[in-house]
Amino acid sequence: MTNIVNELTNKFSNHHDFFIEEELIDNTIVYVIGFTTLVDVTKSKLYIQQIAASSISIKAFFTNISNELNVPDEQLIKAILTGSIIILSKDATRNAVVEAFPQKLGSDISESKNESPVQASIDAFGNHLDINVGMIRKRLNTERLCLDSYEVGQLNKRKIYMLYVKGRASPELINKVEQQLTTVQRDIETLDDLNNQFGHRRWSPVSHFSATELPIQAVDALKNNRIVFFLDQFPFALIYPNLVGDMVSSANDRNLTFALTVMLRALRIIGILATLLLPALYVALVSVNPELFKTDLALFVIQSREGVPLSAFLETIVMVILVDLILEGVVRLPKSVGPAVTMVGGIILGQSMVEAELVSNLLIITITAVVIASSAVVGMQNSLYLRLLKYPILLLASVFGILGICTGFVLTIIYLASLTSNEIPYLTFRLGQKGDET
Amino acid sequence: MTKQLQIVAVFIIVSLSYGYLLYPSIIYSLTDTTHWLVVLSQGFIQLILVWLYIKGLKRFPQHTLLDIYSKMGKWMTLLFLFPFALNLIALITFSVRMHTETILSIFLPRTPYWSILLLLLFISAYTAIKGFDTILRSAIFIVLLILFIILLNTFSSFVNYDVYNIASDKHVSIAFLLNPKFLTLIGFSSFLFLGFITNDKPLTFPPFMIASIGVIVILLSFIYIPLLIFGHETVVTMPHPLLEATDSINIGWFVFNRQTMFLGITLIGFVILASAVMLWMIGQIMQSLLPKSKRKNSFWIIIFTTFSLIAALLLPNQAVAEKYFLWGVGIQAFFMAIIPLTIFIYGFASKRGGVKHEN
Repeated sequence: MTNIVNELTNKFSNHHDFFIEEELIDNTIVYVIGFTTLVDVTKSKLYIQQIAASSISIKAFFTNISNELNVPDEQLIKAILTGSIIILSKDATRNAVVEAFPQKLGSDISESKNESPVQASIDAFGNHLDINVGMIRKRLNTERLCLDSYEVGQLNKRKIYMLYVKGRASPELINKVEQQLTTVQRDIETLDDLNNQFGHRRWSPVSHFSATELPIQAVDALKNNRIVFFLDQFPFALIYPNLVGDMVSSANDRNLTFALTVMLRALRIIGILATLLLPALYVALVSVNPELFKTDLALFVIQSREGVPLSAFLETIVMVILVDLILEGVVRLPKSVGPAVTMVGGIILGQSMVEAELVSNLLIITITAVVIASSAVVGMQNSLYLRLLKYPILLLASVFGILGICTGFVLTIIYLASLTSNEIPYLTFRLGQKGDET
Repeated sequence: MTKQLQIVAVFIIVSLSYGYLLYPSIIYSLTDTTHWLVVLSQGFIQLILVWLYIKGLKRFPQHTLLDIYSKMGKWMTLLFLFPFALNLIALITFSVRMHTETILSIFLPRTPYWSILLLLLFISAYTAIKGFDTILRSAIFIVLLILFIILLNTFSSFVNYDVYNIASDKHVSIAFLLNPKFLTLIGFSSFLFLGFITNDKPLTFPPFMIASIGVIVILLSFIYIPLLIFGHETVVTMPHPLLEATDSINIGWFVFNRQTMFLGITLIGFVILASAVMLWMIGQIMQSLLPKSKRKNSFWIIIFTTFSLIAALLLPNQAVAEKYFLWGVGIQAFFMAIIPLTIFIYGFASKRGGVKHEN
């Protein structure tokens, strides 16, 4: 056996899926090496034999089978790890990296799970990078669509693709992003790791990216001068930078008529305001500033709270947390159990809480409205961060009443205004076309 | 990324920020009739100053006020800007205290005033530390919110109008021009922050003219809402005519009992952002005064906020706060005249070659 084969055997001695097989081609022994878990061995061997049969010499065989011939040893190891097979001649004078038949590890293009588009294509991104990029290219067939690929991480080299339309996305931004991606010092396991790489947002609920499953959304972002990232084994397109407008508008809206689009967006804005302000308004008007209501309305509110032992703040915070728990529970549970939790949470718990006079009817209405309103925005993560932002306002409202709501709301605006991704503020509505058209 | 629209939004907020509380009373004390003439004259003087200021700043592209003063010499900065910073902190202290008392009287009669002071100053300092870009971006949203509420207030007050209350508004008198209080009015508009912004493109005057006209219209509504409701004789006896005027409004179909609540909301938006702008200016001035110290902008902002908080807590009552605030506004008026003039004259002189550039 040759040196390199020995080395490989030693290196991968702990890997039971590692295989070295000998083949006889033109009276010369060659080694076929790879991982059985990544490569379909039977099909690949058949392919090699077919090529061998049609080649007149061992030299011709190597030229026919691959373009990557006689590569350095480190690259051979890398090729094995990424799912190729390598072919070595016994005297170690020739080697080749062959793109073999891969094991089928990804799923086919499927329907979107997290977003449900109305009147649009239901194709969703999958785990495989190239397929995802292919889906974009199919919809945006211009030579100006550029693709940069990066491999980042220490232990596990993770592939990241960056897509942008040349002439639309600002070259300055692309340069900065490139720098940030090439200086990655750690493994990029999750979106949070990538987020931190793009600037410190450890404690911020607002991400640098908006994730989408829908190709139409990603294409729309590319056309609107933004950058789209794909991570391998991550079935989402990451639109960078994430802007506040992403919460109210989706590309799919525009399949409807303009008037309907405007209506939908107005509804989402109302949803945002309702999520942030309604629970706080309840607490403020019931416990701190009841005198602001007209007398009959104030009496009605007091009446609905008759016999409730909890303070307005406690009542609200208990209900809000309970509802957030139910939402979280329903999401995590298998599809067959989810509806049961919904029923228990919604009907039994809600009904009995009112009948036991633990919370007022008015609060139940408020909370229901808030839950529905928070789901009206586009994107799961946006809905989640709105649900988080309502707590500080609620807290301030319980202490300062209406004043607390105002200061809380102003503080929220100021906080969101302070967020930037590579100097692009989060509160931008549209990115200007920065690049050169040509 | 700074846009002129955002700067104009901050300009509107800062210009209106004190208008609510004391501005109407001063106008009423200046004249019995033709109140609009007072507001217009004040607006005119302000426009001239803004024009001078922008004209002066244009001569130094990519330079802030601080750069220009440091060009003139270290002592000029010390002479003009340090007292200015002290005056700003005094203004913040008195205005926050004054607004706190007003907010307490509108919303929260039983809450201790220190908690509100703490809340308002904390948010202002937080905003100032986040930088001027944050102030600019949030200003647009806050201006939209507040203008909506001001409109709501103005239109809802229609129900109580009595046009005969201003029937005597025929006799034109310009005696107010000689009253020193009139000059104090200039201090109510704050445009000096314009010099602290570095911008790729130089500022242009027309948007500020439009904004100023808008501000004057809103100020006129502040003056005339109480006048139309109560009449001049009643209004001069009131400490806060606008508050009382809105408190008198009662609309049958509306869910809320007190329109003053909306007034309170606007007050909060104004005071937070205006104080943030001033705190940020103080931070910038301190940094340019002590360029060698490695303290960051935020250090000075925190120090001055703490100072302001303690001073505001020590003020015995609202009347004292108002008195000192008016003094502060008077001094502010002096800076509003002197800073644009020095910049303009220096710009003029350096263009003639009278002053050497230290580039």
